[in-house]
Amino acid sequence: MKKLMLGNEAVARGAWEGGVSFGSGYPGTPSTEILEYLVKYDDVTVQWAPNEKVGYEVSVGVSLAGRRALVTMKHVGLNVAADPFFSSSYMGVNGGLVCVSADDPGMHSSQDEQDNRLLAKAAKVLMVEPSDVEECRWMTKEAFSLSEEFDSPVLLRMTTRVCHQTGVVHPEEKIVLPEKKFVKDIPKYVLLPSNARERRHKVEERLKNAMKFGNESDKWNPIFRKGNKIGVITSGVAFGYVYELMSDEASIMKIGLTNPLPLERMKRFAESVEKLYVVEELEPYIEEALKAMGIKVFGSELRPYTGELNLTIVEKMLKGKESTKVTIDLSDAKINQRPPTLCPGCSHRGMFTIFRDMGLKVMGDIGCYTLGAINPLKSMDSCMCMGASVGMAEGLDKFGGEGVSGKTVGVIGDSTFFHSGITGLIDMVVNKSKATLVILDNRLTAMTGGQPHPGTGMDMKGNESPRIDLVELCKAVGVKRVRVIDPYNLEEIKEVLEEDLKAEEVSVIIAKAPCVLGFKVKLGNVVEVNVDLCTRCGKCIRVGCMAIGEKDGYPVIDENLCNGCGVCVQVCEPSALAFKKQN
Amino acid sequence: MNIVNIMLSGVGGQGILTSGRVLALAALDKGLDVKMSEVHGMSQRGGNVDSHIRIGESVPSSLIPKGGADYLISFELMEGLRYLDYLKPEGRAIISKLKITPLSSNLKKGASYPENIEEMILQKAPKAKLIEAEKIAKELGDIRMVNIILLGAMSKDFTLLEKSNFENAIKQRFSPKVAPLCLKAFERGIENG
Ligand SMILES: Cc1ncc(C[n+]2csc(CCOP(=O)(O)OP(=O)(O)O)c2C)c(N)n1
Repeated sequence: MKKLMLGNEAVARGAWEGGVSFGSGYPGTPSTEILEYLVKYDDVTVQWAPNEKVGYEVSVGVSLAGRRALVTMKHVGLNVAADPFFSSSYMGVNGGLVCVSADDPGMHSSQDEQDNRLLAKAAKVLMVEPSDVEECRWMTKEAFSLSEEFDSPVLLRMTTRVCHQTGVVHPEEKIVLPEKKFVKDIPKYVLLPSNARERRHKVEERLKNAMKFGNESDKWNPIFRKGNKIGVITSGVAFGYVYELMSDEASIMKIGLTNPLPLERMKRFAESVEKLYVVEELEPYIEEALKAMGIKVFGSELRPYTGELNLTIVEKMLKGKESTKVTIDLSDAKINQRPPTLCPGCSHRGMFTIFRDMGLKVMGDIGCYTLGAINPLKSMDSCMCMGASVGMAEGLDKFGGEGVSGKTVGVIGDSTFFHSGITGLIDMVVNKSKATLVILDNRLTAMTGGQPHPGTGMDMKGNESPRIDLVELCKAVGVKRVRVIDPYNLEEIKEVLEEDLKAEEVSVIIAKAPCVLGFKVKLGNVVEVNVDLCTRCGKCIRVGCMAIGEKDGYPVIDENLCNGCGVCVQVCEPSALAFKKQN
Repeated sequence: MNIVNIMLSGVGGQGILTSGRVLALAALDKGLDVKMSEVHGMSQRGGNVDSHIRIGESVPSSLIPKGGADYLISFELMEGLRYLDYLKPEGRAIISKLKITPLSSNLKKGASYPENIEEMILQKAPKAKLIEAEKIAKELGDIRMVNIILLGAMSKDFTLLEKSNFENAIKQRFSPKVAPLCLKAFERGIENG
């Protein structure tokens, strides 16, 4: 039976069909939905980890137990999990271990565009790359077998347009696996240098064997023959563009098992055509392998080095022309940007309004609150990677000098703090930082769609689970000044910040209020405008709320959107804004 | 390869993904191949969102190039205008007459929502159909019906699929409680298409 599925859903389906026992990971677009679909299968244990490294390590433990495990993350998540990822390559597996890296060419929702095919190569693990939704299903399923056969973790490398593509799949039944047990094997699993040196040879052997397999596999690395004039080697989402444009006039080789690359097969294919192209997104990964064999190939010089491919770009690469042309000219249409914004009622808004008004130096982090960096709040001075706000605030505060030292705060979301902020805070304590860390405690991982985290007190299925208390946690690592504030009370925010910034010790402020979107919170009555009192100063408009429009300089409240948080009411000096009385 | 391309655009939270899903299910119901591409994540916080849908005997890739769409269905006027250049010269636009002012136009002096936006759309795409989808949805008693009304309007001259394919898709996608209203909304869409 044919079914319509999202790529991420098909990965979950494939994992289930392949007999997976366990799924873990940390949310991150475009990978998040994989575990959210996998948790729907009752016979699989699925759980969010506090970060990717932990998720990876639990999965390795499951693999040692003889069971199959799936761990998912976005591309930058693999940086966090890189330590166990690289070393687990030396250990190999017991039960199959598949790690999903969801890359984001074009940076739709990421801070960088790294191509994690290079990480699979560096870690010397097997890598597979689906090009559409049906391949998401069967490649995930088969990846577990590859993992066990070649004794390697397998990187399932996806990209946004594969993860978030909906297409037709042909679901199959779940396979029955023979039972496996944990086997004590010190030389394999204890990576003492002496053991690791031995394992290093196994890794090399594995790659050799897997390359031989790839060289012979029509299933993983199929060739679509059409003449010998033009040949194209491609992989992942790029295959679709190539096939659509060239299947009538070129021979096409699709590589599904992309580490190790099937060098022999590629070479034979190259020799069978007069002119060879490589079409791949981001880094010239396949191209460089061909060039290293001395093969003449056209590829990266014909396309942008950044961003996604599409039919137009690939047609220009391969045919030197564009058959689809833009005929409607929009250059004279003044179309405003529509950037994402903090929701009406969001508990982050008041905080950033005060940071801005106090002129603080704000070392920010990643989450919904990163929107505090854009117009009109513009009160975040850095955002690098998850957890970085803490260490960066410490560093900037120590060496910033006048106007910076003593005026620096780190700002981090609660999920991000559990992910990788705690170690930074420990550094602040033991190295005597005097900076202030603000933890925005909205009880959810909001940015990626409201997943529970260790502070939520709920698991993926909505069952109660132990809740880590942020106050206790900060105190336990040695912070003496820990205060909880109401992020809707602007005066309180300002007061506490002023005191803590003056303090000669590290301080933590926990701004505590549940995510209005995730918990469906209605805060209060809608706000109304008294035009007679309004001086058109624009302060309310500069809190950046979708519910506040503007006409002739006066604010106009959209009652359907207003959540009644009162931030605009508090910034209004002439008291022209007030909550509507209940009628 | 004969592939029909449908571009959907609007503002995060308007139900664009649901429309796309119904359309894709209708294609599947007809036994056709379909690929749909969408972006989740950051864009959902009030930003603009789009969804590419491609239907045919066999559909190898999922993104519609600019200038390549046979249909554009927009849930909001400015998002209709923004994506108008995706249309082929003979392509058809179906756009809901709704205005959602983006935050940025509140902040830039003189950059308010373009007042003559309807004329501008019609001048650039004379065959565009502007529909009071919100009004019709309110008449039906459920504002969420906008997406089905727009689909209905689009289905009117969409020869690739039968009406029954859409109806089956609606019955698959929605619970028995909501489906009847959706079917009604679909009819209203056809009437206004
Ligand atoms: C290493 C890494 N993993 C995952 C992500 C994706 N991501 C960005 S922010 C975020 C969490 C945000 O949650 P929180 O800190 O609670 O802030 P909120 O969005 O709730 O305001 C996630 C999962 C990422 N950018 N980097």
